[in-house]
Amino acid sequence: MGDEMNEVILSMKSIDKQFPGVKALDNVDLEVRSGEVLALMGENGAGKSTLMKILTGIYTRDAGTIEYFGKEIEFSNTKEAQDAGIVIVHQELQMISHLTVAQNIFVGREYKNGVIIDDHKMNEEAKKLFDVFEIDINPSENMGNLTVGSQQLCEIAKAISFDAKVIVFDEPTAALTEHEIQHLFTIIKNLKERGLGIVYISHRMNEVEEITDRVTVLRDGMYAGTVITKDSSKDEIINLMVGRTIFEEPKQKSNVSEDAPMVLEVENLTAGTMVKDVSFYLRKGEILGFSGLMGAGRTETARAIFGADPQESGIIKLNGEEVNINSPTDAVKLGIGYLSEDRKRYGLMLDKNLYENMTLASLDNFVKSSVIESSKEKEVSQEHVDLLRVRTPGINQIVENLSGGNQQKVVIAKWLIANSDILIFDEPTRGIDVGAKQEIYELINTLIKEGKSIIMISSELQEILRMSDRIVVMCEGRKTGELSIEEATQENIMHLATKRD
Amino acid sequence: MRNLKFKKEKPIRLNQLGLLAVLIILYVLFGILTPIIKPGSNFFQFNRVLSALNYGYFIGFLALGVTFVISTGGIDFSIGPVMFASALIAGQCLTHYKLPLWLCLFISCLVGLLFGVINGYMVAYRFLPSFVTSMASMQIAKGLGSVFTKTQSVTWPALGDDNSNSWFRYLVKYKSIPTGLIVFFLIAIICGFFLFRTKPGRYILSIGSNKEAVRLSGVSTQKWEMLAFVICGLFAGIAAIFYAGAYATVQPGLGDSFNNEAIAACVMGGTSMLGGKASVFGTVVGALIIALLQEGILAFGFSISYQYVLTGLIVLGAVIIDARKHKKIV
Repeated sequence: MGDEMNEVILSMKSIDKQFPGVKALDNVDLEVRSGEVLALMGENGAGKSTLMKILTGIYTRDAGTIEYFGKEIEFSNTKEAQDAGIVIVHQELQMISHLTVAQNIFVGREYKNGVIIDDHKMNEEAKKLFDVFEIDINPSENMGNLTVGSQQLCEIAKAISFDAKVIVFDEPTAALTEHEIQHLFTIIKNLKERGLGIVYISHRMNEVEEITDRVTVLRDGMYAGTVITKDSSKDEIINLMVGRTIFEEPKQKSNVSEDAPMVLEVENLTAGTMVKDVSFYLRKGEILGFSGLMGAGRTETARAIFGADPQESGIIKLNGEEVNINSPTDAVKLGIGYLSEDRKRYGLMLDKNLYENMTLASLDNFVKSSVIESSKEKEVSQEHVDLLRVRTPGINQIVENLSGGNQQKVVIAKWLIANSDILIFDEPTRGIDVGAKQEIYELINTLIKEGKSIIMISSELQEILRMSDRIVVMCEGRKTGELSIEEATQENIMHLATKRD
Repeated sequence: MRNLKFKKEKPIRLNQLGLLAVLIILYVLFGILTPIIKPGSNFFQFNRVLSALNYGYFIGFLALGVTFVISTGGIDFSIGPVMFASALIAGQCLTHYKLPLWLCLFISCLVGLLFGVINGYMVAYRFLPSFVTSMASMQIAKGLGSVFTKTQSVTWPALGDDNSNSWFRYLVKYKSIPTGLIVFFLIAIICGFFLFRTKPGRYILSIGSNKEAVRLSGVSTQKWEMLAFVICGLFAGIAAIFYAGAYATVQPGLGDSFNNEAIAACVMGGTSMLGGKASVFGTVVGALIIALLQEGILAFGFSISYQYVLTGLIVLGAVIIDARKHKKIV
């Protein structure tokens, strides 16, 4: 960058955004300059994605201004933002798998011959685009046949093809191998030289140091500060990110004795395309971490064990005895609880109150000849609200109005009330603010002390290292390794997580 | 800028007492307007009330039944024609095959129940959209009623012509006592208890909120979703008895318009088309409002077609309010 200040092309000022039950953004500022890469950092739930969704017209802001090339702007949908040259490469891929690569890139603005879609022309244009960035993908291939990494490159190519002035990358490397990451960085440097402004959202400190010029940090929905990357240390940035909260050390040694009984054994489990021959065991009182990249098959493994998706082959043993789990009903009866990564879709009835959600998995215990014993139901729910310290005006409150952390506690309460011995937590702290995260960790540790056994799927390495007694790593549907907490490091986990065939 | 207050979106709520007020206001309004629009006629007559109630019962039973289906987030467009099929088949058994009356009433319920089973199975176990499934069974019901009676209309016995076979009419009216109202209220109370206080009812409403979350909580959602359709079908069979009790003649090939009136009653009463939220009290008052509108329009001397227009508008209005109420704030 040198000393010359690049021109500010985009500035967001005093942005506010309220969701039901949680203030997602509170007076947040952000400035993007041409020819620079700005890192946007912060813990999960700090508001990074929300801010970018406001920028690109997916959400509307409650207050604040956005200035773009000196003009105040207001996008009411993504199309308007795209037309103005602001595009986002999403964390979750938004590709249509049965269309070709080229059709995906030009979706909504297809080249046409009269009314007929001109696939030939689209393939040519896609090829030109790929050539510029040395991407080696056949434009006429079906998107569904590509690896996650290649799909990501297509998504990026699509973003560039909008004649973008500002490109937002939302955790682009979450599913990429080391080699693919380097390729991505070459592309980003190329874009930077062309004078584009890049916003790069990431959790990975080494990537931020390598590729970005400045770092803007958000914390709990508030603006925490901006620093020049090369003048700042890792610690400074981490301090900005975590603020008041303590940065916890990884767990030093396992709390589970070698002779603790095995509560769950999974042998050669295969299910769908994402679970291939997976074997592992879980001891009583253990936290077994499941690590891996996005799309590694961890959620699918959990769902297959829980009976949510069909199993093709394999054996599941509970306390040494082989069991048949064909539906979640079977799993719940056997004392297994599954807390989905997407609690709004798979965990909660958002429009119902706390107690109806909490007793859902064990309603039979609150029923006398089919009639619900409402006082018993409310009493037990209230006990769990107190026990888990759910912040709510009362058990009649609609769950939608609670914050993410408190919603998660409602799901946990559901499985505690159902008296599950084995709990599968899938990304337990996703979308939860820093303070509540700490509480969830404490809660998980309390559950262990009470004799529960826990499988914890997490994409955050720090979380895995801090909580687990033992770690299973998966990549592309296979178990690629198992590490004791003593030997596990971020590096050897990442190595296993990218160990493809 | 920092002191910007967040607008708390106030949900528009036609709350339940409000709906009761609408019913009363409508009644008074019709009473005042009738002599003006059609001189010489009087709306404040007990006969008018009885006639309105006759129309209200079967709409009411259809609406109670479909409340269960709508609670799961589904829809049933077959209830009107299924009611007609039940009334035709049971009526034919009574008048043509000379089966005993009690058996015919049972057959009426059974026909409705069977359609409920088919709809429920297709939706819950074969994953067909309820919209499509119920459209198909609507056609089947219409056709089946006609086939069974060889496209003849069926006349249920009236009081007096054959005493042994007309006692079912006392279910609707005994002399000038509207016994039907008592039966209707009693069954409505049972419905309310079932939906809000029992396990199956709780599951039905839960499925309407988030079916997948309920399944992942270990609940056999398919069974309970199907049950909602079965109840709905059964109520179409019960409605048939009350239709036959109020109007003697049943013609084949009809019944579609009653779907809309029943659904209108239900949605107007506060049951959400998105599922998960229901009001049995609202459904009852909604059905009475529909019946009152029909009677009012007749009292004005207008053609029945006006009623179709009006019901259509009511459905539209109720759905708009419902959508506003449950709009997700993003």
